[in-house]
Amino acid sequence: MEAILKRNRLGQWITELQERAEIYAPDFVEDTWEFAKVGRGATVELNHSNTVRPAKRFVFPQREVLYRFRIENSQSPKLTDTEPKVESTVVFGVRPCDGRAMVRNDRVFTCGFSDPYYQARHDNVVFVGLACNAPPSQNCFCVSVGGSPHSEDGLDVLMTELDGRYHVKALTDKGSDIVRSAGDLFQDVKAADMDDVGNAHAIALEYSQRSISSMEAVAAALRRNFDSPIWDKLARACIGCGACTYLCPSCHCFDINDEVTNKSPLTGARVRTWDNCQFPDFTMHSSGHNPREDTGARLRQRICHKLLYFVETHNMQQCTGCGRCITHCPVGIDIVKIANVMEEGVWQ
Amino acid sequence: MIPVEDIRARAKDLLQSGKVRAVLGYRRSTAGLLAEPAFMTTADETAALVLDPTCVGNLALYLVNEKKRMKHARQSDKRPLGIVAKGCDSRAITVLLQENHIRRDEVIVLGVSCETGGMIDTRKLNKALRGKGATSAHFEGEGGVRVSYVGGGTILPGKDVLADRCLECAKSYPLDADFFFGEKVDERPYGPRFAAVSAIAEKGSEERSAFWDAHFERCIRCYACRAVCPMCYCDECVVDSTNFIVGPTTSADEKADRVRWINRSATPSENAMYHMVRAMHLAGRCIDCGECERVCPVNIPLRLLNTMLEREALEMFQYTPGIDAEQPSLISSFRDGDPNDFVR
Amino acid sequence: MSENVYLPQLARIVHIKDEVPGARAIKTFRVEFMNGGGFDHEPGQCAMISVFGKGESMISIASAPTITDYKQFSIMRSGRVTTAIHDMKVGDVIGVRGPYGNKFPVSDWKGRNLVFIGGGCGLAPIWPVIQTAVANRMDFDKITVFYGGRTSRDIMYAAELEKLRGQADVHLSIDSPEEGWEGYCGFVPANVMDKPQRPDNAIAITCGPPIMIKFVISNLREMGFADEQIYTTIENKMKCGIGKCGRCNVGTDYVCVKGPVYSWAQLKSLPQEY
Repeated sequence: MEAILKRNRLGQWITELQERAEIYAPDFVEDTWEFAKVGRGATVELNHSNTVRPAKRFVFPQREVLYRFRIENSQSPKLTDTEPKVESTVVFGVRPCDGRAMVRNDRVFTCGFSDPYYQARHDNVVFVGLACNAPPSQNCFCVSVGGSPHSEDGLDVLMTELDGRYHVKALTDKGSDIVRSAGDLFQDVKAADMDDVGNAHAIALEYSQRSISSMEAVAAALRRNFDSPIWDKLARACIGCGACTYLCPSCHCFDINDEVTNKSPLTGARVRTWDNCQFPDFTMHSSGHNPREDTGARLRQRICHKLLYFVETHNMQQCTGCGRCITHCPVGIDIVKIANVMEEGVWQ
Repeated sequence: MIPVEDIRARAKDLLQSGKVRAVLGYRRSTAGLLAEPAFMTTADETAALVLDPTCVGNLALYLVNEKKRMKHARQSDKRPLGIVAKGCDSRAITVLLQENHIRRDEVIVLGVSCETGGMIDTRKLNKALRGKGATSAHFEGEGGVRVSYVGGGTILPGKDVLADRCLECAKSYPLDADFFFGEKVDERPYGPRFAAVSAIAEKGSEERSAFWDAHFERCIRCYACRAVCPMCYCDECVVDSTNFIVGPTTSADEKADRVRWINRSATPSENAMYHMVRAMHLAGRCIDCGECERVCPVNIPLRLLNTMLEREALEMFQYTPGIDAEQPSLISSFRDGDPNDFVR
Repeated sequence: MSENVYLPQLARIVHIKDEVPGARAIKTFRVEFMNGGGFDHEPGQCAMISVFGKGESMISIASAPTITDYKQFSIMRSGRVTTAIHDMKVGDVIGVRGPYGNKFPVSDWKGRNLVFIGGGCGLAPIWPVIQTAVANRMDFDKITVFYGGRTSRDIMYAAELEKLRGQADVHLSIDSPEEGWEGYCGFVPANVMDKPQRPDNAIAITCGPPIMIKFVISNLREMGFADEQIYTTIENKMKCGIGKCGRCNVGTDYVCVKGPVYSWAQLKSLPQEY
């Protein structure tokens, strides 16, 4: 289902959707773009570069209470399930790299054992994507990992900005629903509109991005160089923070801890929080033994998981080329450079 | 204006003569405008060494990290590390010396003066260039910073693009260096020390509380601020739920009894606790390199917390950290004339 | 609402047996599910044990799959959760969710000789396999069990091992001589070398400290065992147990789902990150 929305009607569409859902859109907060809740009557511009934090938090928030427990004096524990009762949510301005990341997250959270928390959130969120028309940010490389500035994967709607209007394409039932519900705001798509969409998409592909020449060759090189000393060299500057993975749209690792709020009666919650393969304690056994005990091994894990292991398991990279891990690394560790260095095999 | 060739030549000489096991400096990065840390172990590698207003990182961090790494890898090259250090970086080295974390003979300092310049703040630069991505930045002395971008270039006044810490810097050159590059400039054309923190400190407590609540709510606890700080060298940290220094003799009870002072959940109260604890542990130790603030992906103005305590240390104890390696550190010393009687 | 995979079932501790004393004590806990709960398991599978307020730990199920009215877990006092469970009493309630992971392919081994080699608390994960083999004794040819502890006090399942002697060859060892010890003195791999096992038609199953496993495998290879004839089980830090949280990830595998049981042939193809 496709339609045309005049630019000046975007606000009205959002207002109508606010009757039934919470609306999020990128907002410029503290000099950074962040998804923020759109207040009644607030203006949404959709002129953002990518948000610092990805859209994954709408399906996989940094903190999720799994259940609560309570033990009254030596009686058996009472467990209260807290599967999220999620408000309907529509997220505008999701870039295609974040959309494609959602396909990866779906693989992790719904294959095998289905994760009820992820599922409950996913069922109630509509991702409205926005194709990238402007020149890419300095570390974008979506095309190299099989994406594009207007990829539809993982999105419910894809909007493409044209001159004074948006081409709006619903991609799922949830997407069709939010377009159809405000049907009178939209116009039919004409042939000229489709030409403009085609042009906009073609121009976006013309912009030069950072590139990795062959993902197959990179995967093979990673497999070959697992024991190479290059990893220590590449990770020499790594400070072991979590910026790369916490900002990654497809990193999904988490920790589970008990948070006790009262000792007697013992009351608390079992809580999951984002965790991070770059932290030294991530894999440390109770004995103190740590299978990945230095930054080289941990960087290798991050890169190999994204560009080799996930490919072997799910036939797709677990990286969608958003470039956040590069831009926000405090010391310039660069997955594109690493991939190319690996493939070319040029290091001392 | 420091000729970078001079530093390269010195680094090359140190490596060629085998006086150092490595030189820590800066080189261009594929990740963006800012220079990245370079660990040079051969003379050839020094050709890539750069020095310009993009060399923001405080490499003193690696004196700590390399020490841990060597110990871990059971390597025992006793030769010192050469390190390129700006004024702030060298104060960090001095604090590490004051705290006996390193010995003076373990490091050879290639001190560089920022003279009337400083390091750029990429957020300010992006704003000044209105989104045009900068490709290079160079000192133009008092004129400011010459910036190039695709399709053009411009000179921007230092006050518009330099990091706040540089605008407030009281000593833009190292006090303790084995080799010194540049001129010692004491008169700098920018604002007074503590300008930024004074602006916020003047506000009422409710306003300040709201200010910090809003910032801490956005914290994602990536710990980049802690990881980048040369003073955050502890083997164990109060925010970690596991004890990193588990050995074969660590008992189960020791592990089990470890108190979780701060939950992993990135909730406003836990985040505030984390940042407060970090700030308190840096009181009288932070030398204002501003790295914590620079690396924060969500732009929390962390430098304000630390400079507030720096200001307190100065006002209450006339103490400035990182000035003299022989001076006892603020927290480990007392004076007979202390107005409080708990020390007597 | 779909079944919540993170929600444990409640189980009451009905019996506690001290296996090994000391700082790294091992106790065996027998638990019965409450409210009509429970699940079936296969030999080699694990379960997430909850002590509410402390957390969860992945523990291998030590009781035989045929036992349906309770499950047993032999747990070493090691960290936060295991210390808490060691401090519990009969009647206390824990949480259990599972079963997780793969199993030892015991049914594929019919007609074969089985050689079990365990050390320390590594007897617990292979114990249900031994139980299964013994319960179906006619299905297998020779059954041999090597097991060793640092001292005689570190021998777990001592009584059970004695009972096993009628149906299997049992070779116990301790690291250095003690008065009254009639078994072998020396490390487990040396005990195995001392009583060479014929690789023909045999399967070796080993579990114990990593260094022991390393030497056992090297010795087995020397005796002519092929990589496919050697099975072991590995452990890694785990949080979810269901292949999501990423902690136990080694190469393409999440150990909690694809493991913990591996043939040496399979394990060799994985990075050594366990």
